[in-house]
Amino acid sequence: MTLTLTPKRIGLLLAIATTVLVLVNQRSVGIARDETVYFTAGDHYADWWVKTLTFRSHATIAQTFGGAFGGEANPEHPPLLKLASGLSHRWLPFAGELTAYRLPSAILHGVCAYLVFAFALELWGLAEAVLAALCLIVLPRALFHAGLDCFDAPSMALWFATIYAYWRCLDGRRWPWQVGVAWGLALATKHTALLLPFALGVHLVAISIRARRIEHWRVVISLAVLGPLTLFVLWPWLWSAPIAHVRDWLAFHMHHVHYNFEYLGVNWNAPPFPWHVAIVTTLLTVPAATLVAAVIGACVMRKRGELKLPSVLLLVSACASIGPFFLGTTPIFGAEKHWMPILPTLCIAAGVGAAWAARKAGEAIGRPRIATIVVGGGLVLAGASEVIAAEPYALTWYSALAGGDAGGADLGMNRQFWGVAARGVLAEIAKQPPAPVYTHDASPAWGWYQRLGLVPKGYPDAGHEAAGIAASKLAIVIHEKHFNRHDYMIWKAYGTVQPIFVLRANGVPIVSLYKRP
Amino acid sequence: MSRKLLVIAPALLIVLVSLWEIVATHRDVSSVPGDAAWDAAATIVRADYRPGDLIEFAPDWIDPVGRLHLGDLIAPGVAARMDAARYSRIWEVSVRGARARDTIGLSPVIEQTIEGVTVRRFERGAAVVVTDFAQALGGATSDGVHPTLELAEVGFAPHQCVQVIPIPGKPTTLAFHAAALGGSLVGYVGLADVFTRRDIRGPGELAVEIDGVRVADVHPGVDDGWVRFEAPTTAGLHDVAFTASATAPQRLICFAAEARQ
Repeated sequence: MTLTLTPKRIGLLLAIATTVLVLVNQRSVGIARDETVYFTAGDHYADWWVKTLTFRSHATIAQTFGGAFGGEANPEHPPLLKLASGLSHRWLPFAGELTAYRLPSAILHGVCAYLVFAFALELWGLAEAVLAALCLIVLPRALFHAGLDCFDAPSMALWFATIYAYWRCLDGRRWPWQVGVAWGLALATKHTALLLPFALGVHLVAISIRARRIEHWRVVISLAVLGPLTLFVLWPWLWSAPIAHVRDWLAFHMHHVHYNFEYLGVNWNAPPFPWHVAIVTTLLTVPAATLVAAVIGACVMRKRGELKLPSVLLLVSACASIGPFFLGTTPIFGAEKHWMPILPTLCIAAGVGAAWAARKAGEAIGRPRIATIVVGGGLVLAGASEVIAAEPYALTWYSALAGGDAGGADLGMNRQFWGVAARGVLAEIAKQPPAPVYTHDASPAWGWYQRLGLVPKGYPDAGHEAAGIAASKLAIVIHEKHFNRHDYMIWKAYGTVQPIFVLRANGVPIVSLYKRP
Repeated sequence: MSRKLLVIAPALLIVLVSLWEIVATHRDVSSVPGDAAWDAAATIVRADYRPGDLIEFAPDWIDPVGRLHLGDLIAPGVAARMDAARYSRIWEVSVRGARARDTIGLSPVIEQTIEGVTVRRFERGAAVVVTDFAQALGGATSDGVHPTLELAEVGFAPHQCVQVIPIPGKPTTLAFHAAALGGSLVGYVGLADVFTRRDIRGPGELAVEIDGVRVADVHPGVDDGWVRFEAPTTAGLHDVAFTASATAPQRLICFAAEARQ
């Protein structure tokens, strides 16, 4: 039996390769502060659902999904990814605890690569589809985020799943339920999916104007009914008081605290923020070759005049995701992870641009295949070289356009967040005599590092702030501009400014380890 | 021919940018000198270091690496200095062509670059400090909660400073009786603690009086950092008062001042 490499199989192979790459990469990525909350919440959610569906006694909905915002049940974020990671942890212990938690996000990144491939294949061609998917796979920051048990990469996947389902539902089908369910899944992953109707609405209006009649009203019904319904079904916290709990959920994000975030040398923690944060950050965190190909692709895509305006759909999808960050009031912490849904648009544009350029060059030199290999290969290798440079500390990484990690530091771009880099000093800590450790921003993850055997016994977390430093004999500082004060507290308590080890990402300091003299 | 070039130009552009990116990424990864270069640079500094010398690193972000190699020569109080005026010899250890703020405009007496780490030494006439008000805090009197000497974060930099947290609307005055003054009084003030600066956006105020005459009035805001003030003075013993006030709560007003000859 021979297995033909059909386009669909190529897409599936790319999706599997994406998931595998994410899973391999995340093995050396430390535990993000927020992940620890999602681990616990996910375990509780999974337990609740399994016991509910098997008619066993269990905790109440309020105990499992409710409580104060910022608490263990994490009611400030919808449950889908947490539930998936909890189930994965429950059912796939052989994968390793951390990997099991992160598996759903990795799979969704593979799904995203597949959908990018499928969308580009349907509208442009195989070369475009392959290059678009590969461009997505070699985005260093996206690869990093996809390896965390967090919502950002999954929300990109489900955002684009909604876009794709919407596109497919424009075929006039009688029951376009897929788009409503996809949007519901996106909503059940992250609140940013609330921006999707703006994109879809603009697109529907555009194609209705072009058709001179109201088009695809069933799609609107599907979105309006099945989207909220899916969210409701998946989030038991809404069952008892849907309006009040949705209001609380949205109010939390509308009035979210502005975390400290460095941008162009300034520590920002209050609006108004610069209007150009999203543009500059995107320019410096997407490989330069991908950006160039995307610009070419955008020009080429515009020339195509399909009745259903696919290029417009991709454009409004990106605009709806990134648009709020031009207002100057939307929190900028987290930067590119909050507007990740622009990436499928960008990568499809890059795939289309590169394939078009290669095709034209191939026709001119009479070697179409060689042109495609050279152009596409160069594009993907450029991204791959950035991935190699970036991982596992991709939050410190900036592209060659910035001058790499050091160039980003020179520009005063944010160094990192979430305390992930602490993992890189655990081996150094273990070389020291056992002692209490001031664990700084890695405090929430410390118990997990101990549980996973990455920190030997005998190195307890000494506690928080000045009291923790006073009780410690070892101390780490995870470098961010607003964390400088932790260095100074340690200097004062230890009587020295000299660390014993400085972890660097491509030469840029990311964690200092101090030892009390 | 030109039409053919035009047709292949987009492909050529993608290929050239890709090649550049591959090379540039490889170069960027090794663009910051490693520990061997820093060890060599530290050896140069140690060979001619004298107690009282100031060691600075540039750019700012390389500071942890600099302190890893030369931190034993930098006391916390020196790292948290008010400014560099009292230091006559300054070592600047830098990478990537950066310069320390305190050495800009000075000419180095020695300069040596080893594997990307540049060591420069500068010499100049230092300010002579007659009274360091932060160090003299113990002898001062306060009409409110007694200020404390802190090693605080002000403007994301370390500063050893006198911290006052005035009750809103109730100024706190710190008085130094018969303090020795020279030709000028130089000081800095700012708001400590990034989190209270984020959550409460109002400024603080520091007024300075010499023998009852106001000579400086500074209103440090949340984004102003370490704000300099200076007043001419006449040499001799004078009563100096620093009055901190704020309309907002939790203003951690932190200041340092020196009477200089």
